[in-house]
Amino acid sequence: MNADDDYKVTVAKDLEDLIPTFMKNRHKEVETLRVALASADFEQLRQLGHRMKGVGNSYGFSRVSTLGKYIEDGARSGDRAALQATISEYGDYLSKVQIAYE
Amino acid sequence: MRILLIDDDEDLRNLLSRYIRGQWPDAQIEAYDPLERDLPSAAFPLGSYNVIVLDYMLGRGDGLEWLKSLKQRADCPKILFLTGAGNEIIAVRAMKAGADDYQRKQELTRERLIASIRELTATAVERTVSPDLAARMEGHSLGAKVRIPGIKVLHMIGEGGTARVYLASREDDDEPLVVKILRQEIVLNRKALERFMEEYAMVERIQSRHVARIFGHGQYQNNVYLVMEFFEGGDLSKRLGGKPVAPAEALRFFRELMFALGDIHEKGILHRDLKPQNLMFRRDGTLAIVDFGIAKNIAAADRTGAGEVLGTPRYMSPEQVQGRALDLRTDIYSAGVLLYQMLTGRHMFDGETAMEVAMHHLNTMPAPLPDHLAAYGPLMEKLVEKDRDARFRNADEVIGFLSRKFEQEGADITQKLH
Repeated sequence: MNADDDYKVTVAKDLEDLIPTFMKNRHKEVETLRVALASADFEQLRQLGHRMKGVGNSYGFSRVSTLGKYIEDGARSGDRAALQATISEYGDYLSKVQIAYE
Repeated sequence: MRILLIDDDEDLRNLLSRYIRGQWPDAQIEAYDPLERDLPSAAFPLGSYNVIVLDYMLGRGDGLEWLKSLKQRADCPKILFLTGAGNEIIAVRAMKAGADDYQRKQELTRERLIASIRELTATAVERTVSPDLAARMEGHSLGAKVRIPGIKVLHMIGEGGTARVYLASREDDDEPLVVKILRQEIVLNRKALERFMEEYAMVERIQSRHVARIFGHGQYQNNVYLVMEFFEGGDLSKRLGGKPVAPAEALRFFRELMFALGDIHEKGILHRDLKPQNLMFRRDGTLAIVDFGIAKNIAAADRTGAGEVLGTPRYMSPEQVQGRALDLRTDIYSAGVLLYQMLTGRHMFDGETAMEVAMHHLNTMPAPLPDHLAAYGPLMEKLVEKDRDARFRNADEVIGFLSRKFEQEGADITQKLH
C-alpha cells in the first residue's frame, strides 16, 4: 500500500448523490472542531469525535472514524496538542481524499 | 411499511433511509431530528409505524431515556436501537429497557439493517418467512426461554455450527457476557456433547489472560449452555476486513497469539482450529483465543478419529490435512498462516473448494512476502514449513526468535535514532 492509497475511498454507486452533503458536513465539522478546541470545549470535541466515529465507516471513510476515535480519546484526556494535530490531519485528509463510485 | 428514524446525524439519517428505500421502495420513512424536536409527545402517532430506528446518542438527549419512555406506550412498535461499538453495556441496557434488536452503528451495513428490519417486521404467522429468518426467530425465542441463575439472556448475536450465541448480562451489575446455547442436534449427539463439555472443562483449566474466561456452564431443561466473557473489540476477522494490518501491529497480535498458545500447550491442549474468527479482542486491545470446540488433549490427539479431519482448511497444517497424529506444531503452522494473512491482507492459499485449499497446504509453497515485508520472510518460512520437523517446535521457540530478531533490531534502530 502506498501513501496515495490512504486517500482513496470507494463508495457504492447508489450513494453517490449523498456524498456532496456528507463532504460538506465533514468540512463544517473541521471548522466546528477548531472552534471547540480554541474554546477548550472538550465535551463538544468528544461528541464530535464520537459522531465522526459513527458516520465515517458507515459511508466507507474509515479514516474519518479513526480520526474521530483519536479526537474522542484526546478530548477525554484533555490533550490539546494531540487534538490540534488530529484536527489538522482531518482537514488535510478531506482536502486530498479521492472518491471512486462502484 | 412505515419507519421512524430518530438520529441527530443528518448523514446517518440519509444513509439509513437510502438503504431502506433500496430494499422497500415504497417505504415511508420519517426522519426525526432530536436536535430540532423533543421526545415524541403522547399525541404523536407511534402506532402508525412498523419500526423505530433509534440512535443512543441524540445530541441533546439520551437515546436510552427515549427508549424507556417510548416503550412505556402501548402503541410503541418494535425498536431497533443503534449503539456504539466497544460499549456493549449500552446494548445490554437497551435490551433490558425493551429494545427489540440492537446494532452497532459503526458496523451497520446495508445487509444488517435490512435483515434486522425484516426480522422485526416479520410476524409469527407470516407464511412467506424464509428458512434463514425462521431459524433466527427460533433462536431468538429460545434465548428468551432459557433461565440461568444470575444471568439474563438478552439477544441472539450469532449462530455457529454447534451453538447459538447470545448477548447476556450479569443481573447484579449489567456486565456484558456471552451465553452459548448448544444446538439440539449436538445435545442429542453424545460425542458432540462430550466435545462441548470438554471445551468447558479445558478452558476452565487454562486460567490464562490469553484465553476467553468461562464463568459457568449448565443445563436448563434440554438446553446446554456455557457462560463466557464478552469481547467488545470483536474478532480478528473483523479487524482485518480483507486488508493487511500494519506490520508492527501484526507482530503484536502474533506475539500475543504465541503467548496464548504457550499457555494452552503448557496445559496439554492443542487448539487445532486457529482462524481469525477465533481470536478475539478485549476493549483494552489484548487478544484471547476462543472456541475450543475441536481442541483436544495432547495425550488424546494421536488420531482425530478414523476418517475424521477437523479444522478450517485455510489454516490447517499439512499433517492435519493428512489426518496424521498432531502435536504442538500444528497450531504453530496455523498461527503462521494467520500471520501471513495479517501482513499481506491475503489468504496464504485460495481455491475453488475446501479440498483444493487444503491440498495446497500439502503441495504448494506460499507466494513470497512482498519486498517491504522481506524482514518477516525467515520467520514465516520457519512457521509454515511443510515438514514439521523443520518448523518451530513450540511457542517458546517462536517467542525467543521474535525477541532476538525483532526486538534487537528495534533496539538497534532506537540507538541509531539517538
